[in-house]
Amino acid sequence: MDKFTVYLVDDDAGVLKALSRLLRANGYEVKPYSSPQEFLKQHDPAVPGCAVLDVSMPGLDGLELQQALTAGGSHRPVVFITGKGDVPTSVRAMKAGAIDFLTKPTKDTDLLEAIRRAEGREAEARQRLSELEAIQAKLSTLTPREREVLTHVVAGRLNKQIAGDLGTVEKTIKVHRSRMMEKMGLRTVADLVRMAEKVQIGPYWPNGQLDGRPIPPP
Amino acid sequence: MAAFSGMTRTHTVWWSIVLLFLLAVEARAAEHRRVLMLHAFGHAYSPWSDMAASFRAEIIGRSPEPIELYEVSLDTARVQDPNDDAPFVEYIRALLSRRSPDLIVPVGAPAAFFVQRNRPQLFPASPMLILGADVRRVPGATRTEYDTGVLLDLDLPAYLTNILQLRPQTTDIAVVVGNSPVERFWTSELRRAFEPFTDRVNITWFNDLTFGEMQERAARMSPQSVILWFLLSEDAAGVPYSEDRALEAMREVSAVPIFGIGDYQMGRGVVGGPLMQTKVLGQQGADAGLRILKGEKPSALNPPSVLFGTPAYDSRELQRWGISEARLPPGSIVHFRQPTIWEQYRWSIIAIAGIILLQSILISYVLFQSRRRREAEAESALQRREVEHLTRVSVLGELSGSIAHEINQPLTSILSNAQAALHLLAQKAPDLAEVRDALEDIVHEDIRAGEVIRRLRNLLKKGERTAESVKLNDLINSTVGLLNSELIRRDINVKLELADNLPVTSGDPIQLQQVLLNLVMNAMDAMAKTPMAERSILISTRGKPTGSVDVLVKDRGHGIPALANGHLFEPFYTTKEHGLGLGLTICSTIIQAHGGKLTLVDDQNGGAIAGFSLPVQETAARVM
Repeated sequence: MDKFTVYLVDDDAGVLKALSRLLRANGYEVKPYSSPQEFLKQHDPAVPGCAVLDVSMPGLDGLELQQALTAGGSHRPVVFITGKGDVPTSVRAMKAGAIDFLTKPTKDTDLLEAIRRAEGREAEARQRLSELEAIQAKLSTLTPREREVLTHVVAGRLNKQIAGDLGTVEKTIKVHRSRMMEKMGLRTVADLVRMAEKVQIGPYWPNGQLDGRPIPPP
Repeated sequence: MAAFSGMTRTHTVWWSIVLLFLLAVEARAAEHRRVLMLHAFGHAYSPWSDMAASFRAEIIGRSPEPIELYEVSLDTARVQDPNDDAPFVEYIRALLSRRSPDLIVPVGAPAAFFVQRNRPQLFPASPMLILGADVRRVPGATRTEYDTGVLLDLDLPAYLTNILQLRPQTTDIAVVVGNSPVERFWTSELRRAFEPFTDRVNITWFNDLTFGEMQERAARMSPQSVILWFLLSEDAAGVPYSEDRALEAMREVSAVPIFGIGDYQMGRGVVGGPLMQTKVLGQQGADAGLRILKGEKPSALNPPSVLFGTPAYDSRELQRWGISEARLPPGSIVHFRQPTIWEQYRWSIIAIAGIILLQSILISYVLFQSRRRREAEAESALQRREVEHLTRVSVLGELSGSIAHEINQPLTSILSNAQAALHLLAQKAPDLAEVRDALEDIVHEDIRAGEVIRRLRNLLKKGERTAESVKLNDLINSTVGLLNSELIRRDINVKLELADNLPVTSGDPIQLQQVLLNLVMNAMDAMAKTPMAERSILISTRGKPTGSVDVLVKDRGHGIPALANGHLFEPFYTTKEHGLGLGLTICSTIIQAHGGKLTLVDDQNGGAIAGFSLPVQETAARVM
């Protein structure tokens, strides 16, 4: 696994260099970018790490960059640093999920603390993601029938009812169900429901939809 | 018969007229008045000749009848031997053999004595008027009933009093007096009269000197001395001196002032003072003479003695001897006063002074005006500088956030570098090279912050307009640097097209930067509503072969509002919501003061172009 990397974006070369130096001295892997576009171009969401973004930059400011990251499907935690810490901007940033909003000149303790939090969140997210990926991997091994049965089980229906819904016999359902539970590595229905929530598999709904949403593809 | 008788009558009338005419002529001839004047010395011995002249002129002039004047010079005063009288007596008798004189006028005491001595032979019944003898010489007891006299009463001490009043420092007085019998008489009179003064001044007598000796003495006298010229008819050597010409000769050589005794000496070199009045004496003598000729009895006339008149002085002598007129007795008469320049040229002086005064007033007025104008100019210059400064301050106020950011960046960098260095040093095996780099960056960033502050300080500076060499490209870079954060904040892209080798211009860099700042900020403000992607400012410089440098600031904003055309450079005209309306006015003034012109036009492709051109600095142009 890659080392935790800090993606540093600031149009001011002096600041960029200084912050890089500070973070490196504290043992971080740092990737400095003086242009937001350059950063976006070279960004690899797979590498663990966080982004430290300057708010006011020519062309693309920090908040826009955050949006661009999110839009690109990256959940990379973001720490903002700004010369002008005005309240509306900071509120917008925090709402958009920023770890922190620091004003320049930034104290090392504040910055390192924020990066540590980002690190924690990153680890958390990564763990959750790997968990979800594991679930998805297991889900992908299910047959369409077994998957169908899963949604009905999650909806809390009995085997007999499921057999009725699917127009088959209870025994067949029992076989599907036990295979599905085996493939998913679960033993109780409660475990199954918790897992379904994590991957946002909704319960069966008679008109073919779950809570008004289509069942997400595996 | 009738004819004859008529003829006879006519002849009678004729003869009667002729007879009457002859009678009238005879009567007139009978009315001639014979006046015999006897002179003691000669005709020309002062003061007697002066008295005689005055008397003669008066009596002839004022007598209703013709005066038949006989004058005889006795020279007795010098000879003074009564035995010599006889030929003179004979001569006079012969002279007046046909008719006795109506009036005998001896002039001076010696002549009076002559008449008195020979009265029995000389017309004892003719009235005698003694003229000009001192009252001491012919006392009343010596006179007959036919005699009277218009006499002098000389106040001898007054002469010395006058001298001492005018020259209090006087220690020596030399008295010029001759050696004739008359003068010997006066010498003794004078000695007596001057006796009271001898404890105060030393009096010397020249009566036993020749005139030449007197002159020698006078030339060597000490400055505290004076000469009193009393009378010099004949010196010790027996040489006669007439009409006081000797006085003038004495004045030529004398080292000290000469005082005189009579008005006849005035103008001949005497200082002046109380003086014997020969003219007045002649007049009063004529008065008395005319009354006697009318038939009045001489002894009944008894005219008063003639005293000194008002003290009179010779201005030239007063000046020569440095005697202030303030020392003169009140009411003194000063003769021969040189007319002062004021008296001579009074009207010219008044006119010239008037013109000078008028000119002075005009000049003062002009100076006053020019001073006021200078003050007003200085004040307006001061106010202009104040306004320029205030607008700079207000521009910088608008930019304060951006400027704070400009300073904040290096501060951030410094802090982070310093902390990085600390972190590095805290490690077991510190990377000292990295620490050094951090420190170098700190230095660099600190200089950068200082630069921002220096630019700010420059713009906030208040002061006189200076004239320095200005590189406009540098100025533009510096201005854009100052605006950097603001440009980023407003999403405005700045493009610079600065000519290489741009000639140097001359001017005040602060003021020129103020103009640039203003133009760029105007461009920024103009693009508030321009879509973000189109917001851009182009700043270009260009050297022109005509010897000027053009600077253009082009924006993509709303352009110049139609209404504003023609008002752009007017004070307090603004198209901005919060504008003061002074920016362009001041820019225009500044550029004009630099010998350039500020222009603002619409760009055909949208937006506006503001620009100015400045003359190239001459010396720099030659170098290039």
